[in-house]
Amino acid sequence: MTESSIFFAVAAAILVSAAKVVSSRDLVHAVLWLGVVLVLTAGMFLLLSAPFLAGIQLLLYTGGVITLMLFGVMLTRRHREIGVEVDSSRRLPGALGALALFGAMACAIFRTELPAWPASEPIPAVEIGRAFLTDHLIAFEALSVLLLAAMIGAIVLGRQRDFGDEPETVYRRSGRP
Amino acid sequence: MTPIEYALIALFVPLAAAFIIAVVAPLRYAGMPAALLSVAAALVSLGASLALLVQQIAQPDRVIHEVVRWLPNGPAALAQVGVHLDGTSVSMSVVVTLVAACVQIFSLGYMADEPPAARGRYFGYHSFFIFTMLLLVIAPNMLQLFAGWELVGLTSYLLIGFYFQKPSAAKASVKAIWVTKFADIGLLLGLICLFAVTGGFEWTATLSKGWATAITLLMFLAVVGKSAQFPLHIWLPNAMEGPTPVSALLHAATMVAAGVYLVVRADPLFAQAPTTQLVMAWIGGFTALFAAVIATVQTDIKRVLAYSTCSQLGYMVCALGAGASMAGYFHLTTHAFFKALLFLAAGSMIHAVHSNEMSAMGGLGRRMKATSTVFIVGALALAGIPGFAGFFSKDLILEAVHEAGMFVPWLMLIAAAFLTAFYMGRAVFLSIFGPFSPTSEGAHESGFSMTGPLWLLAAGAVGIGYFGSDFAALAGGTYHFHLGMSGILGTTCALIGLLLSWLIYGSHRLSPQAFRFVAPIAWLARSGLVDRFFEFAYRRGALVLADAVGFFDRYVIDGVMNWIGWSTITSGRWLRRIQTGNVRDYVYAVVAGAVVIVFWGLSR
Amino acid sequence: MTMQTLLLLTSALFCMGIYGLVTRRNAIALLLSAELMINAVTINLVAFARLAGGVTGQVFAVFTIALTVAEVVVGLAIVILLFRWRREIAIDSANELRH
Repeated sequence: MTESSIFFAVAAAILVSAAKVVSSRDLVHAVLWLGVVLVLTAGMFLLLSAPFLAGIQLLLYTGGVITLMLFGVMLTRRHREIGVEVDSSRRLPGALGALALFGAMACAIFRTELPAWPASEPIPAVEIGRAFLTDHLIAFEALSVLLLAAMIGAIVLGRQRDFGDEPETVYRRSGRP
Repeated sequence: MTPIEYALIALFVPLAAAFIIAVVAPLRYAGMPAALLSVAAALVSLGASLALLVQQIAQPDRVIHEVVRWLPNGPAALAQVGVHLDGTSVSMSVVVTLVAACVQIFSLGYMADEPPAARGRYFGYHSFFIFTMLLLVIAPNMLQLFAGWELVGLTSYLLIGFYFQKPSAAKASVKAIWVTKFADIGLLLGLICLFAVTGGFEWTATLSKGWATAITLLMFLAVVGKSAQFPLHIWLPNAMEGPTPVSALLHAATMVAAGVYLVVRADPLFAQAPTTQLVMAWIGGFTALFAAVIATVQTDIKRVLAYSTCSQLGYMVCALGAGASMAGYFHLTTHAFFKALLFLAAGSMIHAVHSNEMSAMGGLGRRMKATSTVFIVGALALAGIPGFAGFFSKDLILEAVHEAGMFVPWLMLIAAAFLTAFYMGRAVFLSIFGPFSPTSEGAHESGFSMTGPLWLLAAGAVGIGYFGSDFAALAGGTYHFHLGMSGILGTTCALIGLLLSWLIYGSHRLSPQAFRFVAPIAWLARSGLVDRFFEFAYRRGALVLADAVGFFDRYVIDGVMNWIGWSTITSGRWLRRIQTGNVRDYVYAVVAGAVVIVFWGLSR
Repeated sequence: MTMQTLLLLTSALFCMGIYGLVTRRNAIALLLSAELMINAVTINLVAFARLAGGVTGQVFAVFTIALTVAEVVVGLAIVILLFRWRREIAIDSANELRH
């Protein structure tokens, strides 16, 4: 199997899975389809000779994000059943808008002279790690601060225990962790 | 001490006194201590000025010009402040401080009946006035002179409105500041032009003929306002609402003479503008005559003196117009003495009878011998009777105007000399001689604090005329007394005027009814035609203009502003509809924007 | 596998995300769509990183992924708060941005 045919197979699988993500009527299914897309994206990273990123993708996304999403779905269920119905509305204008954007981007892609791939070896994780801790140290630290802030923010937002109906009380209390 | 230190002492000791009186409220409320502090400051200032004068007489040509940078502008200064000491400024500062000291000592007695707090305020203003006037007098350039000019205007306003609880006094102070500020626009514009043309505020600048005429005419407008020349003289009679010593100091001797002093200072500028000088001669001559006519029909002694001041200032301005700045300045000095004397003596009489009306004063000569004597001395000096100071200076002016070939102004001055003697004789015969009135019957002489300054000023009113040549040396001119044709004619007219007043008001040989033919002139003069003209001009001119401007503002400028506001609100109301708060709509907007950007980028 | 086909793939993925974003009514489904879009962008970034060579592109791809995780965390927290507040997470009724 050539690299090209693998690419087209993966690409087709990504597109199909993505279509399922945005069209599935069951929210849990949609989340699971997203997991498929993410795993396939990791494969795409491998094809693009970025194995380290593929590992990150699997670990963070497929491991973390999908789990988070499932928790989110379950926490926001109104009824006890497992599946959550998701309806879509105004599909035609949405589809037209998305197609218009795709057309525009495709035009741009076709009209741009793109170079061929240069020959390149996969970059080892050691080099990426070194780059993190030398050239991009400040960005790396800023990112860690951001993650900490996101964590604290999520805790603050989610800490509210009583499920009161009064928006005001939620607003008021959510201001005070 | 150096001359500059003397000048600074003369300048700042009164300011310090004014500041202390203004800030230390208990002192001001106590009245008498504040008054004594103010008098002491005035005496210190007088002493410093006299020291300067002594030095100056020893070296008449000495000119000290010391400036510091003000408004720094890079290496050069935009303007400078400092002192300029020459014969003119030194002698003027002596006149100012001497008259001010006399007036303040006189005020100790005159204002004794006022509440203490009011007295404290009064003397504070007086100290401040000495500072402002000296600031003007020793100014090294036109800008500092302008600063002093405005400050004396302020002091004048404060002192005219001293009895501010009296509506007429409050109105008079507002009128004074209104009229003089209007005139000061001219000085300001003149200074701006001067700076634009020469880049400085020096009065020694050399200008092109057109600019010289324009700038000096603008400056002359301010002189007309400050020195109460026709047609802006209207504020001076009302300024008599202030206490009489104030009238003596500010509105007779010094402040109103600031306009004349300005022209004397800026003589190099005015000498370059013959047109302005011609205008000055005509306006001065006309004012001298016009104000003298009005003075003959006044019944209020202060008003007689006020119009007389207008008239005498007209003499000075006319002399300046004739190019004889020394003559004008000499008359300024003698006038300062005898007019301050007259006002203070009148104040003493008013103090005795509690009325300004001459009809209430009859026969005061038998009750107030000292005051009457000095009043007569002042009247003779003002009338230009030979031997008194006014004679010498007036003679000099008449000669100068005649020599300059300005026949009509000269004629008006001669006529004014006749009228001057007439109205002063009238005032003397009505108030000092004549039968007693109910109020003057029980009058008695004022205390020494009031008569002392009167004697001093009377000595000046007699003696200063004999120092003409020394004075001329100080002022940078020459003076040799000789009685020319003008002098003889003027003196004769004055004597005739005096005789006529004696015939009418002294011996009653002639009835005033015999002069009914002048009644229309008198009525015209008394009816305040000029006031009415300004009132009319204000109503029809300024108010109509204000209405037009107001209309433009209300409907055009406000209209545009309202339209902008209205359109903003309306468009906001419309644009609000696209802010649905719905995330979906925002996504559509982002998509549309992205599509547009992509195609715009492609089509370029 | 050319750059062109890869870009077309990611554009399609991105536009599917857009479609989901404008048609879905459930807030979590919106988050899923946003994930699709970010994924497309990340693939693009990696592809251009390979085109440019060097390590920086991949480093920034890692940054992107980490940022996305942070975004998901906060987004989900908001969705949960929204649910507690309104007892539903249909996005049509959530027009608080207007007020």
